[in-house]
Amino acid sequence: MAKTILVVDDSSSMRQVVGMALKGGGYDVIDACDGKDALAKLDGRKLHLIISDVNMPNMDGIAFVKAAKLLPAYKFTPVIMLTTEAGETKKKEGQDAGVRAWVVKPFQPAQLLLAVSKLVLA
Amino acid sequence: MDMDDALQTFIVEARELLEQMEEALLRVEQMPDDVETINAIFRAAHTIKGSAGLFGLDHVVKFTHVAESVLDRVRSNQLRITSELVVIFLGVCDHLGVLISRVAAGAEPDEQTRQASEQLASQLRVYLDAPAPVAEPAPSGSAAPLETPAADGADTDNWHISLRLGPDVLRNGMDPLSMLRYLNTFGQIVQIVTLVDAVPALSELDPETCYLGFEISFHTSADKATIEGAFEFVRDDARIRIVPPRSRVSEYLKLIDDLPQEELLLGEILVRCGTLTQAELDSALREQRGEQGGETGSEAGGKSDGKSDGSEPPRAMLGEVLVEQQLVQPRVVGAALDKQKQVKEHKAAESGLIRVNADKLDEHINLIGELIIASAGASLIAQQTAIPELLEAVATLSRLVEEVRDSALTLRMVQIGATFNRFQRVVRDVSADLGKDIRLEISGAETDLDKTVVEKIGDPLTHLVRNSMDHGIEPAAVRLACGKPAHGTVRLNAYHDSGSIVIEVADDGGGLKRERILAKAIERGLIKGEQQLSDQEIYNLIFEPGFSTVDQVSNLSGRGVGMDVVRRNISALRGSVDIDSCEGVGTTMRIRLPLTLAIIDGFLVGVCASSFVVPLDMVVECVELSEQEARDSHGRDHLNLRGEVLPFIRLRQLFDVSETPVEVLAAESDDERGGHLPRYGQSSTLLTAEGAAALAGDPELAFLLHPVQRENVVVVQYAGRRAGLVVDHLMGEFQTVIRPLGEVFNGLEGISGFTILGNGNVALILDVPGLVRRVAGSESRRNARAVSFVSAE
Amino acid sequence: MNSEDHVMHIEIKGELSIYTVAALRQQLIDALEAATEVEVDLSEVGEMDSAGMQLMVAAKREAALRDKTLRFSGHSPAVFDVLELCKLSGHLGDPLLIRSKI
Repeated sequence: MAKTILVVDDSSSMRQVVGMALKGGGYDVIDACDGKDALAKLDGRKLHLIISDVNMPNMDGIAFVKAAKLLPAYKFTPVIMLTTEAGETKKKEGQDAGVRAWVVKPFQPAQLLLAVSKLVLA
Repeated sequence: MDMDDALQTFIVEARELLEQMEEALLRVEQMPDDVETINAIFRAAHTIKGSAGLFGLDHVVKFTHVAESVLDRVRSNQLRITSELVVIFLGVCDHLGVLISRVAAGAEPDEQTRQASEQLASQLRVYLDAPAPVAEPAPSGSAAPLETPAADGADTDNWHISLRLGPDVLRNGMDPLSMLRYLNTFGQIVQIVTLVDAVPALSELDPETCYLGFEISFHTSADKATIEGAFEFVRDDARIRIVPPRSRVSEYLKLIDDLPQEELLLGEILVRCGTLTQAELDSALREQRGEQGGETGSEAGGKSDGKSDGSEPPRAMLGEVLVEQQLVQPRVVGAALDKQKQVKEHKAAESGLIRVNADKLDEHINLIGELIIASAGASLIAQQTAIPELLEAVATLSRLVEEVRDSALTLRMVQIGATFNRFQRVVRDVSADLGKDIRLEISGAETDLDKTVVEKIGDPLTHLVRNSMDHGIEPAAVRLACGKPAHGTVRLNAYHDSGSIVIEVADDGGGLKRERILAKAIERGLIKGEQQLSDQEIYNLIFEPGFSTVDQVSNLSGRGVGMDVVRRNISALRGSVDIDSCEGVGTTMRIRLPLTLAIIDGFLVGVCASSFVVPLDMVVECVELSEQEARDSHGRDHLNLRGEVLPFIRLRQLFDVSETPVEVLAAESDDERGGHLPRYGQSSTLLTAEGAAALAGDPELAFLLHPVQRENVVVVQYAGRRAGLVVDHLMGEFQTVIRPLGEVFNGLEGISGFTILGNGNVALILDVPGLVRRVAGSESRRNARAVSFVSAE
Repeated sequence: MNSEDHVMHIEIKGELSIYTVAALRQQLIDALEAATEVEVDLSEVGEMDSAGMQLMVAAKREAALRDKTLRFSGHSPAVFDVLELCKLSGHLGDPLLIRSKI
C-alpha cells in the first residue's frame, strides 16, 4: 500500500509540482491550501508524512502542526516543514512544536523527494 | 497534469502575488507598522522564490532571494520600511513581472533584464548587512568538503556510522528505520549492529521513548555529506559519527573515545561490523592507553574532523574475521519488497478552490443562455396546451433554470477591489510625475460585478483617474490659497444601484469650469452659441469627440486618447458616464454599468407585431395612457404622471415600426391584440384591425384619429432620470440572453442587442440609457429654454 | 498444538508502531502476568517501526525477568523486513528459538 502524504501549501503551483513529484515517487498525495484546510483533512485517515509550508494565510504551518500533534492519530506523524533559510525564529517555534525536518525553499522536486524518502520510503 | 501545466499555474499565481505585493506595498506606506501587511509582502516574495525554484528558474530565485532577505529584515524589525524602500520594492515588483512574462513567453532573460536584475539587487543589498552578494543556500549535500581516504588508513572500503538516538526521536515522528532504508538507496549496509541494550523490560519501558543505537558498516560511493544527509533530521536529537573508509585507526579510537563508557563494547562492535580487525583494535587500544592519556575529550558534534592526531598507529591489515551476524542470511520476503513498487492510483487532490478557465465559464454561461431560451419555448408551448400538469412541470423547470442562471452568473462575479487597488500605483506614479501630492481613497471595494466588465473597465477608469489628477486637482499652492488641504484626494467608489453598478471617480479639485467648456465647445463647433444647455449637459460636452484640445493634452492624460473614447468604451459595455461638478469643490464622474453583460431579465413589450425587450431592472411601472392623458399630451411628448412631468417616446415612431399585415390581426378575436407572442400579464389594449391599419402610416395622426386607442406607457428609470416608453402591449417578464448586434448595426441608436424568443422570433433589446438620455436631454433643453425665456422677460 | 492451557495467545493486528505500542505494552504485561508462556502472533502486522521493534525487545526482556516464555510467531512481511534491516532476526526472528536472555 502506498504511503500517504499530506501536502499543505498556499501556493497552488507548489502543491502541483510537489504533488507530481511525490506521486511520481510512488506516494499517495492529498493536499490542502492552508492550515485550516489541512486540519479539516485530518479526519482519521492514515498519514505517513505531513509536508507543510510555514507562512500561510488563515493558519500558518506552525499552528497547524501544533494542532495536528494534539490529535491522537497524528501525534507522531513526521512533519517536513518548508521554510526559508531566513526563518530562524520560525524554526525555533517549529522545533518546539516537534518539527525536526526542514526543507529550505527554493528546492528542486528531487530534493524534496530525497528528504521525504529519509523519513518515509515509498 | 504535467510540468507545463504547473508552470502555467505558477505564472498565474506569480502575477496574482505580484498584484498583492504591490497593493500591500502601497498600503504599507500609510501604515509602516502593520505586521500583516509586511508579512503579505514578504509572503509574496517568499512564495514566488519557492515556486520558481521548483521550476529551476534560477535567475528568478536569485533575484527574489535578495528581495526576500531585505523583507525579512523588515519583518524582524531590523529595518524600517521607508518611502525609498517602497519605491525600490515597487521596482522589484515590476521587474519580477518582467521576469515572469519572459518565463511565460518561454524566453531566457536577455541582457537587459539581467542588468536590471543586477541593478535592483545591488540597490537592495544596501539594506542588507553584508553588501556582498548573498550566497545562495547550498543544496543540501554539496557544501561539505569531500573527505578523501587517508593513505595510512585501516584497510576497509566501508564507512563506519555510529548512531545514538535521543529519547525524543520517535515522538517527533522520526523513525530511524526509515533512515537505514534510505541508506540502502545509495549504498549497502554491509553490517549492522542494533544496540538494544538500553531498552528496558516492558514494565520499565516508556514505549514512545527511543532507546536505540546503531553501529553500521556501510558501503557506498557517495560522499560523506550524502551519508550525513540521511540523518539530517535527527541531527539535533542524536549523536552521529561517520568515519570514512581507510581512515587512520586513530579515527576509530576517537570514536571509541567519544563513548568511553562503552569502550569495550564498541570496540567489539567495530570488529563485529568488520570495520576493524581484532588486531587493529587491540593494537589501537594499546596505543591509546599508552600514549594518549586524556588527549581528546568527547566531541559535541557528530563529525569526524580530527586529522590532528599526530601519532601513527601501526597499520594492520584486515584479516579474516568472521562476524557472528554475517552468518545470518538475510531473508528476502517477496511481499515486503513488492509493496515498494506499488503505485496506487492517486486520489484527486482535494482543495477548497479550483481554478477554472474563463473560456469554459463563458461557454457554460452561453449554454445556460440557450437553456433559458429553450425553457421559454417550453413554457410557451405549455401555455398554449394549457395542460395543468405540464404547466406545473414547466413552472418548476423555469424556476430551476432561473436559479441555475443566477448561480452561474455569480461564478463570474468578482469584486472590484482588485481593480481599484491597482490605482494605488497609478495615483502614486502620476502624482510623482505631476509633482502633486495626491492620495487615493477607496470605498465599495467589495462590490461585485461581472468579470467581463471588470476586464474592460480598467482603461476607461485609468483615463478618468488620470484626468482627475491632471486637470482636476490644483497645484498645492492654489489649493492652500483656497483653504483646502495641500494634498489632493481622488476617490474611487462603487456601489450597486438598481441592477447597475456605479463606479465613481471623484476629486476634490477645482471642478469643471462651465464657461470655459462652453466657450471651447462653441469654438469647436460642437454646439451653437445660442443653444441653452443645462450644467450637466455642458459638463458632458467634454466627452464629445473633438473636445479634447491640444492645450489640454499633457503627457499624462492626453496620450492621443480623448474623453470621447472613454465614453465610447463605456457605451460599448452598455453603460453610461456622467459628471457632477461644483466649481472650486470638485468633480465626480459617475460610470454606470450593467452588472452582467450576458443575460438580463427583460420586460417584453410589443409595438404592432414587433417585440422589444426592456431590461426589467430599469422598469419602474407600467401605466395606461388613457384617452384623457393622450389628449392632454397631444402635441407634446410628455404626460402628467401623478403631478410629475414624464417625457415619453413612442417606440412606434422611433423605430418606424410598420403595421403587421391586416389579415393576421383580423384573424384575432375582437379586442385582443394580435401577434405571435405570449401575453401574460397583459393589460388591456384596444385596437381594431381597421384602426391598426389606419395607424400604420402616421402614429401621431393615428393618435388624433383614434382617441379611443389606449396605449401603455412603460416608465423606465436610468441614472435618476425617468422616461416613458409608449408601446402597444405589454407581454410580461422574460428572461433573455443578450446577443450583440452585428457590426452593421453598431451605430443603431436605441438598440443595444437582440435576443431570440422562445417561439423563434427576434426581439430587439432597448438601450434604455440611450433612450432616457435622449428624452431627458431634449426635455431639459426645453426646460432650460423656458427658464431663459422667463428670465429674459 | 496452540491449545495448551498454559500458553496464552496474543495476536497483534495492524500497526506495531508508535501509535499502538502503549496499548500493546499493557496487553503484553497482562499476558505475562497471567500465563507462563505467551505466544505473540505477528502474522497480521501490517506496519512496524522502531518503536514496535523496541517493544519486541522489551517484551523478551520482561519475560526473561519474570522467568517466563514469550515467543513471537508468524512474522508478517512487515516484521521480517524490520528484523532483517536491523539484523535482529537472531533475537526476535525465529519462532522456534526461545531465548531467555538477549
